[in-house]
Amino acid sequence: MRKAGLIFLSFICIFLSYLTFITAQKAFHSNWKLPAASSEKEDRIRIVLITQELETPFWDKVGKGAALQAKKDGASLEVWGSYGKNQDDFLKKLEIAIQSKVDGIIVQGLDTDKFKELTKIKAAFYGIPIITVGNDVPKAESLRKTYVGSDQHLAGRMIAKLMLSDMGQEGNVILLSDSQQEYYQQQRLTGIKEVLQSFPNVKTIYAETPEAREQVIAKTRDLLNQYPDADGFIAVNANIAGAMIQEIGRRGQVEPYYIYSFDDGSESNTLLNQKKLDGVIEQSPEMMGKKSVDVLMRWLENETVPLDADGYLSEIRMIKAMDKR
Amino acid sequence: MNRIQKKIWMLASVVLIIMAVIWIALTYYNQKTQNQYNDILQRYLSMNSVTNSSQQVVTDLNNYLLEPSEDNLDNLNHSKEKLNDAKAEVGKLINSENEFALVNYMNLIDSLIETSDRSLMFYAESDTDTSNKEFTEATRLSKYISEMTLTLIDTELKTYDVFYRGIISQSAEFKKLGIWLMLLITLLLLMITYWFSLSITRPVQQLTRAANELSAGKFDKEIKVESNDEISFLAQTFNRMRININNLFQEIQQKAQLEHELQQSKLLLQESQLKNLQSQINPHFLFNTLNTLSKKAYLEGSEETSDLLVSVAGLLRYNLKWLDKSVTLQDEVMVIQQYMNIQKARFTDRLTMHLEIERSCLNVQIPGLTLQPIIENAVIYAVEPREDGGQIWLRIKDNNDMVRIEVEDDGPGIPEDKRIKILNGELVETNSASTGIGFTNVVKRLRLFYGIENLMDIQSAMGEGTKVVIRIPKTRGIEQHAQTLDR
Repeated sequence: MRKAGLIFLSFICIFLSYLTFITAQKAFHSNWKLPAASSEKEDRIRIVLITQELETPFWDKVGKGAALQAKKDGASLEVWGSYGKNQDDFLKKLEIAIQSKVDGIIVQGLDTDKFKELTKIKAAFYGIPIITVGNDVPKAESLRKTYVGSDQHLAGRMIAKLMLSDMGQEGNVILLSDSQQEYYQQQRLTGIKEVLQSFPNVKTIYAETPEAREQVIAKTRDLLNQYPDADGFIAVNANIAGAMIQEIGRRGQVEPYYIYSFDDGSESNTLLNQKKLDGVIEQSPEMMGKKSVDVLMRWLENETVPLDADGYLSEIRMIKAMDKR
Repeated sequence: MNRIQKKIWMLASVVLIIMAVIWIALTYYNQKTQNQYNDILQRYLSMNSVTNSSQQVVTDLNNYLLEPSEDNLDNLNHSKEKLNDAKAEVGKLINSENEFALVNYMNLIDSLIETSDRSLMFYAESDTDTSNKEFTEATRLSKYISEMTLTLIDTELKTYDVFYRGIISQSAEFKKLGIWLMLLITLLLLMITYWFSLSITRPVQQLTRAANELSAGKFDKEIKVESNDEISFLAQTFNRMRININNLFQEIQQKAQLEHELQQSKLLLQESQLKNLQSQINPHFLFNTLNTLSKKAYLEGSEETSDLLVSVAGLLRYNLKWLDKSVTLQDEVMVIQQYMNIQKARFTDRLTMHLEIERSCLNVQIPGLTLQPIIENAVIYAVEPREDGGQIWLRIKDNNDMVRIEVEDDGPGIPEDKRIKILNGELVETNSASTGIGFTNVVKRLRLFYGIENLMDIQSAMGEGTKVVIRIPKTRGIEQHAQTLDR
């Protein structure tokens, strides 16, 4: 009886000790870690990449390339920007970046006065180097150090040639651009026009539309009404290609039309895969990101002074719908 | 020897230490948690204070631009200082997660201060337009700062989410720990107290039981207490007391027995003295009677019988007189001659006694009736059973410092084992023919008298006779011994 009691007591004791031990372990052992104290040097170079179109495949790739390069160079990089070409937001981000006195800004060029004022006056005031990426703004107007991205003029020429090779040397081509008249679009347009000029049988119709989806659709409808015999479309601004094709598709078959665009639109790849786009000009966004950071770092570390004002051009390729899949 | 006190102290200190450890652990943990909470709060507070002071700067700047008084300028400077302080506070919050944003944040604050300074400067130069422009920018910057504060706090919340949840779950675990710990300690303390009290009361119980038994008179049961404190000391002394009492008890018993025996032996002694006196009366009566008989025989003309009776009487007297005293060898020889006379009367021609005595040796001291029993033996064994009789030689020779006495017969001899037994004094004579003082008696008496072993030797060959040789030292080695025997 006594022995049984003793065993029972010991058992309870052991059980309680076990519970206590387990809870003590849980209570005193913290598995959560606080973020490490900033071990990096205070003067680590801070670079901001600002785009107007966050979370689009093209700009994600640019950001990825830039991040890779920044990691390699030991700089800290953040990607800021606006969603869906929200200019106010974009400019605000740019201003914050300038006022935050980051060491360098890589920015998607925006051909507006406000942008130019910020880059020319504010950034210059704080001595912050600005590199445009993807879309350029002329140096004279923006005081950008250099441009990293595709040669948009060449891209325009290539897309025109691509179209001609598919369509033949005659037909009506509608060039749809947005009403912003941005520098890179102008360059593309001049490139396209340069090529098409030498083919008298190719008639070009140039049209502009605001970037909002409904307006693009309305404009496309107008154009289709106005020029029912159009053979091809080129969306100079890749972002309007989606809405444009949607409207064309509503009217009838998309296939008979020769439709081309660039890869920096949010829907470009999807449309190409669906064969709604007959071809795109593919740029090298990752390369751009990498190169821009590289160039900026070289500038900041005084390795290459001055930078090539004409810019560092990245590779462009033509991609036809049949090449895919 | 303060063992019980020590035990109590020990229990108390164990309890105290457990309490102290728990208290310290709890306090430490509490402090730690408190610090964590404080840190977290501090983070948010300092971020918020940046927003507030940046807005204050803009407000003060606006006030000053509207009404450029000394007070307003002071206010502005003051709020700028506050903003700088807040900035320094925020600078401490830097970590790897928010490093980029925080540096931007701090630079934004710098920009705000610079912009407001520029605004003031242009205002001082009466360039109101530029001043206003800078003011607008400052306002915008202040807005940016507010926004960024929110973003930063948001980031903080995300970064520290796991941490906060950890703290919450930890405090819940801690509550549980408290309960388990309390239960465990309660149980342990109960057990320790039980064991401890038992360690004190059990020896007391044992001691009580032992005392009960002692009082009941059981002195032979050992008192054993398994303990190492005063109780055990008490038990030991108790046990010693028990042993002492037991010893005394036994001593008293022994004494009583001894006294009893003494009493008995006293009685026996008196009885034997009485008997002794009585036995002395009988022989004297016998002796006198023998003398009377001798006279009667002489008067009636039987001279031979008269002589015989005289010899018997002489022998008897000698027997009574000298049994316990030393005599000279001369006396012994005389007794033997008397004895021989008596025996000759019995055996006539069958017994031939040869005496070869050197006179010079007869002064040697010798225990009374030493030779007589030997001669008697010789007569009994060598002469009596043989029809044609036997011869006995008694020789007393001077042998340097010893006197050699030989008693030889031509009887049948003694078997070897019997001979050795006689010499060792082991043989108990059962032959009723002896006069009572046996051979063994002689051997023992000689040994006692001279204090020397091997005084007697027996040579015997079966069928050829026996020769008893006694060597007696001329001077006794141990006079003292002799004297005690004399008395």
